[in-house]
Parts: sequence; C-alpha cells; structure tokens
Amino acid sequence: MAVSTVYTVQSLNSTCSISKPTKTHLGFNQKQLVFFKKTTTTTTRRPTTVITCSAGDTVVIGLAADSGCGKSTFMRRLTSVFGGAAEPPKGGNPDSNTLISDTTTVICLDDYHSLDRTGRKEKGVTALDPRANNFDLMYEQVKAIKSGVPVEKPIYNHVTGLIDPPELIKPPKIFVIEGLHPMYDARVRELLDFSIYLDISNEVKFAWKIQRDMAERGHSLESIKASIEARKPDFDAYIDPQKQYADAVIEVLPTQLIPDDNEGKVLRVRLIMKEGVKYFNPVYLFDEGSTISWIPCGRKLTCSYPGIKFSYGPETYFGHEVSVLEMDGQFDRLDELIYVESHLSNLSSKFYGEVTQQMLKHADFPGSNNGTGFFQTIVGLKIRDLFEQIVASKTGAPLEATKA
Amino acid sequence: MASSFTLTSLNPCLSFRSISNGEINSTKKIMIKMSMITPSSKDGTRSKAMKFKGTQMREKKLTEMIEQKVVEANQVCGEDETSDECKVAWDEVEEISQAKADLRLKLEKLQQDPLESFCQENPETDECRIYED
Repeated sequence: MAVSTVYTVQSLNSTCSISKPTKTHLGFNQKQLVFFKKTTTTTTRRPTTVITCSAGDTVVIGLAADSGCGKSTFMRRLTSVFGGAAEPPKGGNPDSNTLISDTTTVICLDDYHSLDRTGRKEKGVTALDPRANNFDLMYEQVKAIKSGVPVEKPIYNHVTGLIDPPELIKPPKIFVIEGLHPMYDARVRELLDFSIYLDISNEVKFAWKIQRDMAERGHSLESIKASIEARKPDFDAYIDPQKQYADAVIEVLPTQLIPDDNEGKVLRVRLIMKEGVKYFNPVYLFDEGSTISWIPCGRKLTCSYPGIKFSYGPETYFGHEVSVLEMDGQFDRLDELIYVESHLSNLSSKFYGEVTQQMLKHADFPGSNNGTGFFQTIVGLKIRDLFEQIVASKTGAPLEATKA
Repeated sequence: MASSFTLTSLNPCLSFRSISNGEINSTKKIMIKMSMITPSSKDGTRSKAMKFKGTQMREKKLTEMIEQKVVEANQVCGEDETSDECKVAWDEVEEISQAKADLRLKLEKLQQDPLESFCQENPETDECRIYED
C-alpha cells in the first residue's frame, strides 16, 4: 500500500512532529499525513511513521505568577476576552488545575512537578526549585500541543500533594501555560508566542496574603510573614530572573499617592512592554515614544480621593527597550474608566469602550477598580490581537503539492 | 464588606450604544460602585454553592492541614531557621493556603461547586452525596 500524492506544508519543520504512537488516539481538527512504508526486506518490520501536522494554529502564551494556577483572575479575564467562560474539564479529575473554554486552554505548570509533596520534603526542595520540576516533559508536551498533537498531561493534586493520573489535553487555538516557571527553560521559552510576568512587590504581596489568609484558623500575621520570608530566597533565585525574558511585565507596587499607605488597597501598577516584539504593538498615551505625565481628574472628570495618575514613557529594562504605561490610584466610577480608555492608543480593542465593558463584566474580581484589572484586560486584548495576526499570517502561506 | 453595584442599566451593551456616539456625559447616569472584594464569610464553610459532601470534606481537610502545617513549620524553623526543612515547611503552608483560597474563590465568587461535573457523571459515590447543613 502506498499513498500516491504527497503534500508538503511549508511550515513542516517547525510545527510538525513525527511520532510513532503506541496509542491510536490522534486528535481531530488536524491534517494528518500517514506514510506507509513498503518494506523492501521481509525480515525487518518498520513501524508506521505518522507525521501529524495541524495548520499550526496553536498560539502559546506563558504567564509567570505566584498566585496559584488556572483560577487566577488574570486567566479569567483573558479567557473572557476571547469569549466563553473557562471551566475545568468536564467529568475528569475534580482536582484538575486545567481550565478550558471554546478557544483557550489554560494549564498549570505545577502539573509538571517531578516530585510530589512527600518527595520534595525528603529532598528538602520547595516547589519553586527547578529540581522539583520536569522541564523535559514540559518542553515535549508544549511542543506537541503547539504542533497540533494531543498529550496526556499529568495532574498535580494540590489537595493531596500527589501526582494523579494524566488527563488528555487537545490542542486549542490559544494555549496558556501558567505557573512559576514558564520561562525558566530556554527550550520552552522558544515555544512561547508571548510571555507575561506578574511582578508583585513584597509590600503588596504581604498585604494580599494577609487578606487571603487572616480568616484562616492557624494563620497569624507572623506565620504569613514567615511563609513569605522563607520562600523568598528560592523565589529570588529561580522565579524572579524570568522577568527579563517576558514580553510584558505587570508590576504591582504600593501607591505613591497616599503617603505611608501600607494597606495595599490603592495600587501603582506599571505595564512594561517590550519593544520590537513581533505582532505586539505597545499601548501608548497621547504620543508614542515620548514621556507623558497625566492626571485625568480635573474640569471634565471629577475623581474622589486619592484620584488617578498616569504616566507613560520609554525606559530600559534589563537591557531591553521598553515602553512603560503606569497607573496609580483607583477607578471609582464607570465614567472615569471610559474617559481614561478613550485617551489611550493602540489598545487593540474592537470597539470604543471594549476595555471598560470587559472590566464591568468582571466587576467583582479583585483589581477591577485599579491598574491590575485594567492592564490585565488590556494585555488580554493584545493577546487576542497577536493571535489574529499570527493566524492571518499563516493562512497566507500557500500549500505546495508535489506528486510522490 | 460585600461588593455593591448600582446599575441603572442591567445590560452593559445598551449603555455602550450611547458611548459609541461619543457622549461621555450620558455615562454619568450609570453609576457603578466597584469595590475591592474581600471574602464575606469568616469561616467560609457555609456557602450556597457548596452542594456535595466531597467539597465539604475537602474544605475541612484543607483547614485542618493549614493549622497543622503552620505548627509544624514553626517547630522545624525553631530548630534552624536557615535549614532546607524550614523553607519546605513554609512552602507547604503556602501551597495549602493557596489551595484553600482557590476553593473559597470558586464557591463564593463563582458560585460553583468544583465537584459539579464529576458528580453528574458519578452521582453514586460517597463524595457526591448532597451536603446538608
């Protein structure tokens, strides 16, 4: 048996994987080329080689965050921009960390822990330590998904601390890998179409963890502080350095508008956007490339204390040229939001007021009244724009057919 | 400290029709108070969304684990603050605290019981018994 026509896809080298699958489940929505080799000698049997290529549509986004996985508000905002609600896989392991919507699948990188909780205790390594993570498997599976091949991904159960049997992940349009180490391994970094790092300053982290944990029996201010301090060395050594690789960094700092504010309620948020990233045009205020300082509150807009302050300008970040859009303060009313939105450019919104509308949709999420929610939403629109540009560029590539 | 919204228009799309005409003034009629969300229940065990026994068991387990692991961490670090064991002990506390917070977020904000879809397929399991207050 032989296949008489051979089609060569231009992107064959980068997006296709050649595998000898032992299981026959190969996902749908893919163009599959199956080559049956006629064996010339009868003594050796060659296994069939299957080359599976998708149109190469899967866009991979990396998000580095220390705030749990797949349930974070950033993820929900992002999936909401693409439409549809992200939910855990139906009928599977209830402790799965994965979120799936129509267009997006978000996986938690904790699933690639090579050591479970007991194992880490024995070895004396935290979850932050690269030694607790299987980067080879992470790379293989992200690569497979990117090239349109479904994978059986392990599940790390945060309740039991064990590694559960794997779940099937089918290649989506947008694949988000969220966790502590999305940009740690150079090979995985290469696969990312866009990467984001959520950089929370120590004071804000402390304030947020107090909010999170103070209601728990067993926790006290001291235990929360001790937990942050104990994890800090590993965090600084292994997680923090990833921010130099990110295409966008969302930096969350205490406000400068209120002297000595330590409650972490009013925040100063900086959206640091790398210049020169393919398909990514940084948001700007008034005049691209110049330095702007803007207080929208005044005659046209009245704000309540402490108000809102914006700034924008070029900077260098770890040796890269970046544009930084900064917001200090909080939104109190809808018209403040829409006013601010109307003065920003390159938002990649599809209609006037889209950012505001998205913020309203999730008005009950944390950060809905300040720069964290605002910039997360904007990054969501940017990722959508990036995705559409990538898809447009790929469908433009013609298929060449050659006869075998 | 619950969030409160006053929306004169329930359909956000309607309100934007006027905005797309460039009328910022008309939005002043739509007043929304957005406040930072803090968990409304202190003990977190009573929630309309908690439906299944399995979820109640998980929540109870996580609460106990947090208490227990904080005690452990304090013990271990009391001996040597700079040891690997101390780091790992507090990392475990962090992991469980985050897991508990995630569960709470699901139940309170998203009003979903995480076992919902699992229990649809497996209603006869112990975990899927309906939780009664």
